[in-house]
Amino acid sequence: MTASKDSENFDVIIVGAGPAGSAAALVTARAGLKVLLIERGEYPGAKNVSGAVFYGSAILEKLIPNWWEDAPVERHVTRRDLVLLSPTTSISLDFRSSSAGYVEPPYNGFTILRPKFDRWFAEQAEAAGAFLLCSTVVDDVIREDGQVVGVKVRRDEGEIRGDVVIACDGVNSWLARKAGMQRDLHTHELSLGVKEVIGLDEAAIRERFQLSGDEGMALEYVGAVTGNVHGGAFLYTNKNSLSLGVLGQLSSLVEQKTRPYDLLEGFKSHPAIAPLVRGGTLREYSAHLIPEAGWYMFPQLFSDGMLVAGDAAGFCLATGLYIEGINYAMQSGLAAGQTAVEACKRREYSRYTLSLYMDVLRERHVLTDFRAYRHAPKFVNGERLQNVYPEMAARASESLFRVDGSRKQKLLPLYWRTLRQVGAKPHHVVQDLFQVARAYLW
Amino acid sequence: MRIAVCLARLPDPETVSVDPITGGVDFSRTLHILNPADACALELALQLRGPGDSIAALTVGPPEADGVLRDALAVGADEVLRLWDEGSASTRPAVTARLLAAALAMDGVPDLVLCGSRSLAGGSGEVPALLAEYLGWPVVTDVLAFDVQAARVQVQRRLARGARSEGDVVLPAVLAVEPGTAALRYAGLPGVMAAKRAAIPVRHLPDLGLSSMDLRFPSATVQAAMPPYPRPREIFIPDSALSPEERAVQILSAGMTHKAGRVIDGTPEEMADAILDFLDENGFMESAA
Repeated sequence: MTASKDSENFDVIIVGAGPAGSAAALVTARAGLKVLLIERGEYPGAKNVSGAVFYGSAILEKLIPNWWEDAPVERHVTRRDLVLLSPTTSISLDFRSSSAGYVEPPYNGFTILRPKFDRWFAEQAEAAGAFLLCSTVVDDVIREDGQVVGVKVRRDEGEIRGDVVIACDGVNSWLARKAGMQRDLHTHELSLGVKEVIGLDEAAIRERFQLSGDEGMALEYVGAVTGNVHGGAFLYTNKNSLSLGVLGQLSSLVEQKTRPYDLLEGFKSHPAIAPLVRGGTLREYSAHLIPEAGWYMFPQLFSDGMLVAGDAAGFCLATGLYIEGINYAMQSGLAAGQTAVEACKRREYSRYTLSLYMDVLRERHVLTDFRAYRHAPKFVNGERLQNVYPEMAARASESLFRVDGSRKQKLLPLYWRTLRQVGAKPHHVVQDLFQVARAYLW
Repeated sequence: MRIAVCLARLPDPETVSVDPITGGVDFSRTLHILNPADACALELALQLRGPGDSIAALTVGPPEADGVLRDALAVGADEVLRLWDEGSASTRPAVTARLLAAALAMDGVPDLVLCGSRSLAGGSGEVPALLAEYLGWPVVTDVLAFDVQAARVQVQRRLARGARSEGDVVLPAVLAVEPGTAALRYAGLPGVMAAKRAAIPVRHLPDLGLSSMDLRFPSATVQAAMPPYPRPREIFIPDSALSPEERAVQILSAGMTHKAGRVIDGTPEEMADAILDFLDENGFMESAA
């Protein structure tokens, strides 16, 4: 292609206006670069689905001071529950805090509705000078001598040239695959999340979840909720609605021949969940893939003229303790943006210059976090943790708290017996204890 | 030829939720779109445009309505104009039509004005007719297709139950196009980029030579409110003078008789008399007498 008019040459082209893309657009536009942000939805956020709790408040605070005053946030999270479920019983680890880190600005996390939040965030990038182009699908990259020099969009005369292309086009990242930077993903690396937003009165939410004011709660579930499918579930409180959903590992959904919406129905009718959602009205239904394998599914993060960030790079930390993606997406978007700014300053766009991206990702604790928890996803999606231990904990508690006139057992024999009942072998337990320790302790 | 297309920006009905009990409308998730009928009008204008022709797209609305004009620019409209009265901020059909008429009269009158036949929002379909009234032009509503020949337009209109009627009208005229007649084309990349960067001209009341008094139309006054009165349903009673067999047939057909035409033969005078007799018999001639 011959060089087109000057107006169609950009310094940075960012594909996908989610948290990663908009963050990258924000920093590059603020640095005075000519930035194009391309979104396939009618508006940023139209296609985006996640829980969602946004734990990146402190990150965003550095970019936009007091951002929560202006942004469409729902509630700040002061309560978190990790719940183990058996078909009849639930045991939870309940965390709530009124310490400054949780109840005072910049807060720890906010529940958000992605269509609203992503739209707002992209507007900030636009206000900084980025050029936002919606309803436009990017089909391919343009290459010259192995160097990525632009993108091809699905419109007439749809070639746009840019010095750096940042792919933030989500979990499937067709762009990274077209550019040969990501392989086809395996089904065990992906989870399918199905989610509903259920409208509920504000007062009812406060009462049911024991919240005051704008406090919010995030509940995460493992165990019987997904049957034999490996996965989990979540329930987050918004201002006047609840976001709840079920995640199921793709490979085990296929193996078990389970339909994801059956899981969601099962979750909603579980005795621990049903009273929380009772009387609500369905507002939205959506589904999305989640990259869960973390460290082991990272693509090549940089190449000549191109960077990959956000879900496209697999930056979603699913460890059981944490299910965080938006903050890492944002961090990686910022890192990619910073790298692009540096490359444009030097006017060098080769992979050697762009390898700076890795350093910035480490500085921003993205790579370090994923490396630290690299063993966790595999362990979390393991058969015993998914199905055996929640069941065991639930059964043990059932007998622990049951008073029926028989002899009280001390804890160790009680747990030992339950362990044998659910069919776990002692050497498995030792193995798993080691796995836990390796995944979480050191 | 100069063509003007009137566009409206509306809330997408699919994104407006209505509480089934209170009837309250929740606009918090609402997105706005270009009225589908207007999109058809725009596409037909684009198809009609030959060398030397120009298309102007107009809308009445707040600054957010610039979006539909950008859409029009992206697919190839030559010029755009937004009209708005900050004071009244009303999109009542009469106000909209008045503003459009004033703007069209100012910029050298176009040869043809295309509108959507009705909006998805109000749906009264009044704007094209009122606009034609203010311009002093003919209007054709419910247009399915048209063909411009020199200073006339051949028009096909939609009637009830799938019927069509055809006719022609002298230019300049206002045509109100039915939705679904054409799909708006997908804009090319350069068009979209240019449209995004374009500055959208806007005219307010003083620019149009209007004052707020010109827009003070009497609002509808309720004279009386009556509950809907169910139309009495006639129960069919068979004619007792007929034979049982014929009555049974009448009952089985539930009183339905096919409309039977009668063909009259004779000289023109006889035929005219027969028609008059028929009208007289059936009570159509009473007022004339």
